[in-house]
Amino acid sequence: MKKAFVLLLATFLLLTACSSKSDNSASGGSGGDSGQEISVWAWDPNFNIAAMKLAVEAYAKTDPDQKINVIEYAQDDIIQKLNTGLNSGTTNGLPNIVLIEDYRAQSFLKAYPDAFYDLSSVIKPGDFADYKIASSSLDGKQYGVPFDSGVAGLYVRTDYLQEAGYKAADLTNIDWDRYIEIAKDVKAKTGHDMLTQDPNDLGLIRMMIQSAGSWYTKEDGSTPDLKDNAALKDAFQTYKALMESDTVKITSDWSQFLAGFNSGDVASVPTGNWITPSVKAEASQSGKWAIVPMPKLKNTSSSVNATNIGGSSWYVLNIPGKEKAAEFLQKTMGSDVALYQDMLKNVGVIGTLKAAGEGEAYKESDDFFGGQKTVEDFNKWTQQIPRVNYGMNTYAIEDILVSEMQNYLNGQDLDKVLADAQAQAESQLH
Amino acid sequence: MKSESAVRRRPNGALTGWLFIIVAVVLICTFYFYPMIQALLLSFKTGTGANIHFNGIDNYKRLFTDKVFITALKNTCIFLVIQVPIMILLSIFISVLLNDSKLKFKGFFRTAIFLPSVTSLVAYSVVFKYMFGTDGLVNLALTNMHLISAPIQWITDPFWAKITIIIAITWRWTGYNMIFYLSGLQNIDSSIYEAARIDGASAFRQFRSITIPLLKPIILFTSITSTIGTLQLFDEVMNITKGGPGNATMSISQYIYNLSFKYTPDFGYAATVSYTIVILIVLLSIIQFKVAGDRK
Repeated sequence: MKKAFVLLLATFLLLTACSSKSDNSASGGSGGDSGQEISVWAWDPNFNIAAMKLAVEAYAKTDPDQKINVIEYAQDDIIQKLNTGLNSGTTNGLPNIVLIEDYRAQSFLKAYPDAFYDLSSVIKPGDFADYKIASSSLDGKQYGVPFDSGVAGLYVRTDYLQEAGYKAADLTNIDWDRYIEIAKDVKAKTGHDMLTQDPNDLGLIRMMIQSAGSWYTKEDGSTPDLKDNAALKDAFQTYKALMESDTVKITSDWSQFLAGFNSGDVASVPTGNWITPSVKAEASQSGKWAIVPMPKLKNTSSSVNATNIGGSSWYVLNIPGKEKAAEFLQKTMGSDVALYQDMLKNVGVIGTLKAAGEGEAYKESDDFFGGQKTVEDFNKWTQQIPRVNYGMNTYAIEDILVSEMQNYLNGQDLDKVLADAQAQAESQLH
Repeated sequence: MKSESAVRRRPNGALTGWLFIIVAVVLICTFYFYPMIQALLLSFKTGTGANIHFNGIDNYKRLFTDKVFITALKNTCIFLVIQVPIMILLSIFISVLLNDSKLKFKGFFRTAIFLPSVTSLVAYSVVFKYMFGTDGLVNLALTNMHLISAPIQWITDPFWAKITIIIAITWRWTGYNMIFYLSGLQNIDSSIYEAARIDGASAFRQFRSITIPLLKPIILFTSITSTIGTLQLFDEVMNITKGGPGNATMSISQYIYNLSFKYTPDFGYAATVSYTIVILIVLLSIIQFKVAGDRK
């Protein structure tokens, strides 16, 4: 018994020793005040990290001695670390460059004034897609280097559509009502659901309202705009019709979402272009997919067949080493057209640097999508995305809406649901 | 002479005593009391991120109109009221079974039931999420046994999501509480049972009149620790349901996390919500002491 106890103790000590060691190696080198090394935090090794590593390689040609350390964290961890670090006032251990999702950018810029380095003199906002500037600038100052485009499209399985008697062209530039009609038809004729939905994720609503140039808040980014928001009302009605059409496969997380289309269960995926690598991951479906513009809202006249979801930008923290970090971004993500071609070819990143669109890689056709020039299409739709101010409360409002949506789906009156959401948002947001 | 040395020694003795505990006192004050007081002060401030200012008791007033907070409080109470009694009864039941001297492979069963509480919270939550997915193992098993015709939406239906969380925390913590009962049972003298048997008491009567009263201090202890644990529930809801669908399983702790990190950071209000947990724990513990702790 004693022996067992000693053994247990020894194992425990060994484990803690190991874990603290690995902790050290993970955080080692992330110190932002060394002045020597630039550290970068980002999430998603196959997308953002891979793209950043290409930028680091490209920069090595100009400045081979500069050491740049790219560290991967989950997005939630980055937000948590940034918030605790910036709030405590100790910038020790924070990175020089950090990737922030566009929906959250304003909340960081406003909550921590002076924490981010003004890049107005480093990059030209006019060089980038218009709608990316609203989220990455504050009070006329440009803080972020716009990165990937969140331009969305409707990914469709042409073989299933054909089986139901449709072509990709029948889904091009349609509205959501028509989409639901086709969905019912596809389900009846092929037995496949049309799409997957996670009831906790209102991404579809976000895409619908942005296509009409509307958001959860007014132009100022802080006044909640839920009660009399016609686009939001239309989006809620459309969403309900969709959920009740019996063509939606319910999922509860990301991997189920991926499995939904990789396994061939659903006939379409309405989402951002960043899903392309995941769609192409299932090589056996090559040639069976096409991408058409996102449907628009039927009853909202300002709605167009182009919208956005996700997307993020790079920010420089206002700590020692900021000038070098800014210079690195300026010479890579801020202007290097050749780098953008590499990022597209190797990683699948569609950048938002306007000049990059003129490059070759942006005009290539893709056999997986039946020879469609997908990136050129996405680029075309990017120009049409209505510009909105995401403000600083997107996720807080969405948590209110997600439970009100449940009430609405359970039969409550829509006007009451939105009025309730408005009242809650007003009492909670500052 | 004698009295003089005693007088001289006493202050020295006191000083030595203080010297011994001063390190501990300083450490406790720095790492326990200072943050607690800071958090209390923070709960009277409002604002986003670094721009915060005092605003009196507005945060506490806001609690009463905050629908999300009320939902989170309600959910946590539901978990508390349903899960804790089930778990306590289950662990008493299992510990009595495993305390049977005639039982074979006792060590194996005890370890097997205790193991869940030493597994990683995140790892088990992820496994549960897959088991209870629409196409998961549980639905598959139930369908194959012809108990259900259509898969149950364990994670995406408000009612079933709550059930899933209750099953998950019961699975993890029953074994942990069982250990306390086992040690308690082993402290009960077997001669008491022997005497009861001679007097002709049935097994159930022995359980009701001997086991339960003698286990009372342990029942009190486990119910207080389980109450505290449930009020701080976070990992399971965060990893299995993310608080959804539509806040149906959001716990108070998760709401604190959301206020601090998911939304625009509002640390002042998050501290206010944290203090409601403190108040709740204190109140519930007092009630439990009053109800069950009459004898020491």
